[in-house]
Amino acid sequence: MTTKATTSRPDAADRGGDVRLTGIGKTYGSFTAVHPLDLTVEQGSFFALLGASGCGKTTTLRMIAGLEEPSSGTVHLGDQDVTALPPYKRPVNTVFQSYALFPHLDVHENVAFGLRRRGIKSVKKQVAEMLDLVQLGEQARKKPHQLSGGQQQRVAVARALINHPKVLLLDEPLGALDLKLRRRMQLELKRIQTEVGITFVHVTHDQEEAMTMADRVAVMNAGRVEQLGTPADLYENPRTTFVANFLGTSNLIEAEVDTRGGDDLVVRAAGGKLALPGARCSAPAKAGGKVLVGIRPEKISLTHADDAGSVPEGRNRVTGRIRSSSFIGVSTQYVVDCPACPEFEVYAQNIDRDPRLAPGADVVLHWDPAHTFGLDADQSVLAGTTGEAGIAEGGAA
Amino acid sequence: MAFAASLVNWFKRNLVVVAGLLTLAYLLLPNVVVTVFSFNRPNGRFNYEWQQFSTDAWKDPCGVAGLCGSLSLSLQIALWATLCATALGTAIAFALVRYRFRARGAINSLIFLPMAMPEVVMAASLLTLFLNMGAQLGFWTILIAHIMFCLSFVVTAVKARVMSMDPRLEQAAQDLYAGPLQTFLRVTLPIAAPGIAAGALLAFALSFDDFIITNFNAGSTVTFPMFVWGSAQRGTPVQINVVGTAMFVVAVLFVLAAMAVGNRRNRRKA
Amino acid sequence: MPTLTEAPPPPSPPAPEKKPPLRRGRWTPYWLLLPGVLWLIVFFAAPMIYQASTSVQTGSLEEGYKVTWHFATYWDALSEYWPQFLRSVAYAASATVLCLLLGYPLAYLIAFRAGRWRNLIMILVIAPFFTSFLIRTLAWKTILADGGPVVDVLNTLHVLDATGWLGWTSGDRVLATPLAVVCGLTYNFLPFMILPLYTSLERIDGRLHEAAGDLYAKPSTVFRKVTFPLSMPGVVSGTLLTFIPATGDYVNASLLGSADTGMIGNVIQSQFLRVLDYPTAAALSFILMAAILAMVTLYIRRSGTEDLV
Repeated sequence: MTTKATTSRPDAADRGGDVRLTGIGKTYGSFTAVHPLDLTVEQGSFFALLGASGCGKTTTLRMIAGLEEPSSGTVHLGDQDVTALPPYKRPVNTVFQSYALFPHLDVHENVAFGLRRRGIKSVKKQVAEMLDLVQLGEQARKKPHQLSGGQQQRVAVARALINHPKVLLLDEPLGALDLKLRRRMQLELKRIQTEVGITFVHVTHDQEEAMTMADRVAVMNAGRVEQLGTPADLYENPRTTFVANFLGTSNLIEAEVDTRGGDDLVVRAAGGKLALPGARCSAPAKAGGKVLVGIRPEKISLTHADDAGSVPEGRNRVTGRIRSSSFIGVSTQYVVDCPACPEFEVYAQNIDRDPRLAPGADVVLHWDPAHTFGLDADQSVLAGTTGEAGIAEGGAA
Repeated sequence: MAFAASLVNWFKRNLVVVAGLLTLAYLLLPNVVVTVFSFNRPNGRFNYEWQQFSTDAWKDPCGVAGLCGSLSLSLQIALWATLCATALGTAIAFALVRYRFRARGAINSLIFLPMAMPEVVMAASLLTLFLNMGAQLGFWTILIAHIMFCLSFVVTAVKARVMSMDPRLEQAAQDLYAGPLQTFLRVTLPIAAPGIAAGALLAFALSFDDFIITNFNAGSTVTFPMFVWGSAQRGTPVQINVVGTAMFVVAVLFVLAAMAVGNRRNRRKA
Repeated sequence: MPTLTEAPPPPSPPAPEKKPPLRRGRWTPYWLLLPGVLWLIVFFAAPMIYQASTSVQTGSLEEGYKVTWHFATYWDALSEYWPQFLRSVAYAASATVLCLLLGYPLAYLIAFRAGRWRNLIMILVIAPFFTSFLIRTLAWKTILADGGPVVDVLNTLHVLDATGWLGWTSGDRVLATPLAVVCGLTYNFLPFMILPLYTSLERIDGRLHEAAGDLYAKPSTVFRKVTFPLSMPGVVSGTLLTFIPATGDYVNASLLGSADTGMIGNVIQSQFLRVLDYPTAAALSFILMAAILAMVTLYIRRSGTEDLV
C-alpha cells in the first residue's frame, strides 16, 4: 500500500503527469485563500490558472509545488499522493516569480543545481544541451545580474526543465518583462512545452497570456474556480459576470425574461426586446425573472440612425448615441450611451468607415441573437472589471 | 568682479564638499600624529612632544615589557569572541527573520538593549555578577563579557542581510531537490555570507578595541587597550604608536585588497 | 525499492490519515535562539538585576553585604554626584550636536558628491576604528598641547578668550578643560554619527532632488524640505549612537580633562574599582541607566511624531 508501489505500476507512466487536486484548500487563520477545490490537469497539457492578484491562484500553485501546506485535501501526481512530501522530494519544478535565480552562482551552476542535488556527477553535457534549448549557450559563465530580464527568465525555465519534472509550475513567469518581450516569450514557452511534452501549470493575471498559451484555463476569483474550459469556450460562453468581464470585455444589460419559446429566450430591456439561445443562458429563466444579457463588443454592428431601416430583421437591436470613439488601427472602439446600458462598448473593424459615426451621432446597435449570452442577475455587474470598484466587487462576489 | 563672483559661486556650490573634507581631516589628524610620533625619540617617559627622528621603536616593537604579551592576549580574545558571537548572533538573526515564535518582542529588546546601554553600566553590573559568583577575574571573564556585547551587533548586521534576501531563493533550492541542510549550505549561507562577514569584522574590531568593559572585568589580566591605559599614567612608550600605525596600515591594506579582488572578479565575470 | 515487483494494489481513495508535519521544526527557532539568548540573559539581564539588588544593600567589604532596601544610597549618591551627572549630560549633548554638525556634511559628501572617491573616503572613515581608540585619544594630548600650534592659533585669534569667558577653557590652556573633553568625545563618536547618516542619505533617490528642483525649490529648500526630512532615521540613530556611549564615557574625561571635568563614568569607575563602595557604585550606574533610557524614550517618541509632521 505504499506510495512507492503505486508509482511503480507499469501503467502509471501513462498518467504519471496528471495533476489531481482533491478538495484542496488553504486558510490562514480566519482568511480563506483557497476554498476546497477539485481540479485535474491532464498530462502534457498547458494549463493556466487565471485571476486577479489575491485570488488564490499562486497559493494553489505553491500547494502543488509543496511550498505551501494545504489546510485540507490532497495533491496527486499521477497515482502518487504527494500531499505530505516536502518540495525537494516532489518530481515537480517551479519557475518562480521574478525567477529566484541564485545570485552567487553563474548560469551554468544555476541550471546544474537540481541535477547536483540529486547526486548526478557529470552534468556538463546536459546543462549545455539545456542552455542551447533556451538559446543561452554563450552565457553559461555569467552571473544572473549580468543578464537581461528575458535571459534570466530563460535561465529559470532551463533550471527547472533540466530535471525533467512531471509537472512544470510557472508563477507569473513573464510578469517582469515588457510587453514586446512578453509576447515573444509566450510563443517561446509554448514552443518549449510542445517540444518537451511536459505538463505546464501556468499562473497569470494576464487574460491574453492565458488565452494564447494555454489549452485549458481555470479562472479563479476570491479563492474559487469560477469557470474552467478551453480559452474559446470561456470567452464565448462565460457563465459568471466575473468571467465575462475578466476575459475581454462584455456589455451586460439588466433584463426581465419575457417568454421562452422553443430554444430561444426573449427578454425585455429598456423598452425593447432581445432574443438569445436558451442554451446560452446559465441563469434559471422563468418568465418575469431577472437575467443579465451579455454581448461581446466585437460582435456588434453599428449603423447610423438614418439607415435604421437597412438593419435586417431578426437581429437584436438597441438604440443609442455615440459618446466617444477611439481609433486603434485594426478597429475603432466606440462607447455608446443607450437607455439599456449606460456605457455600451462596440469594436468595429476598420473595413468601410462611415464618417457619420462620430461622437453625438444617433446609432442603432445590432447583432446576431446567437452571440448573446445570459447570466444570473444576482451577481455584481462590475465583477471582474478592472478599476477599484471592479476589484472590490470581484472580491465580494 | 566676475572672478570674485564666480569664486563665491564655486564656494557656495562646493560648501558641503569643503566642510566634509574638513571633517575627514579632523577624523584623520590623530592617526597622522600617531604615525609621525612613532618615529619620535622622546626626551622623557611621555611621547607627547616632538624631539628627534628615529626608527628605534620600529626596529624593536616588543622592546617594552608586557606590550606584545598584551597584544597577543587581545588578539586571542578578539578571535574567540568573534567566533562565538558570530555563531550565536547568526543563529539568532536567522531565527528572528525566518521564523514566527512567541516572545519575539522581548527577544528583540534583549538584543537591542546592550547596544543602547552605556558601556560603564554593563561593565559595572557584570562585575557585580562576577563578584557575587566569586568568579576569578581574567581571560574567561573578559571573553564572556566580549561575547555578550558583540552579540547584538552581529545580530543586527546579519539580520539586515537576511532580511533583504528573497525567501523565494530558498524555496527555489527546495524545489530543486535540496533538503533543508543542503538549502542552508548551498544557498542561504553563501548569500548571507557578506552580512555574517560584516558582523564578524565589527565584532573583532569592538572586542579588540574594548577598554571600559574589559577594565572592569579583567582583574589583573592586561589586554592591549589596558596596557595603553596604564602607560598613559606611567609613561607612553613609542612602541604604542608603532602598533597603532601598523594596525591602521594593515586595516587599510586589507580593505583595499578585498576591494581589488572583488573588482577583478567582477571584471572577469563580465 | 523492494515493492517494485509487487502486484499493483488497487488505487485506494486517499485516506484521511495523519500527515507528518510538512514544515520541519516547530522548535527550530527556539534551538537557534537558545544559546545566544541564554548568554544575554545570564550575562546581560541577570547582572542588571544583581546590580539593582546591590544598590539597596548595606554592609562592608569585610563583613559582606545584605539587602536592606536602603534606598538612601540613591539619595546620597545623587546629592553628592549631581554635578558629574549634569556634566555628563552636558558634555555628551554638546559632543552629539558637534558630531551632527561635523558629520552631516561628510555623510552628504560621501553619499552624493564623492563619485569614484566614495569607497576611499568610506575606508578613511572606518579605518581609524582599527587603531586603538586609546592611542588616538592620547594623540589629542599632543595636538592640543600647551604652546602647541593649535593652541597658539586659537590664542592669536582670541578664540581662547571667548571660550575662557564661557568657562569652556581656562587661561592659555585647552588640555584639561571641558573643551578638550568635548573635542575628544566628538572625535571618538563621530564615525557612529557618520555611518547611520550615510546609510539613510544613500537610500534617497537622487531623482527626488531633481524633482524638487523641477518644482521650483532652491537648493537650500531642497535640503530643508526633502533631503533632511528623508535622512531623519539616520539623524535619530546617529544621535542615539553618539549620545548614549558619550554619556557613560570616562576615558576622554580622564585622559584629556582634569579633576574638574569628571563625568559620571569616572565616579562609577572609581567607586567600583578603587573605593570599592559597591552599593553607591551600583546606585549611580542604575541612575545613569534609568536616566538614559528615559531620555532616549522621550527622544524617540518626539522625533517619531516630528517625522510625521
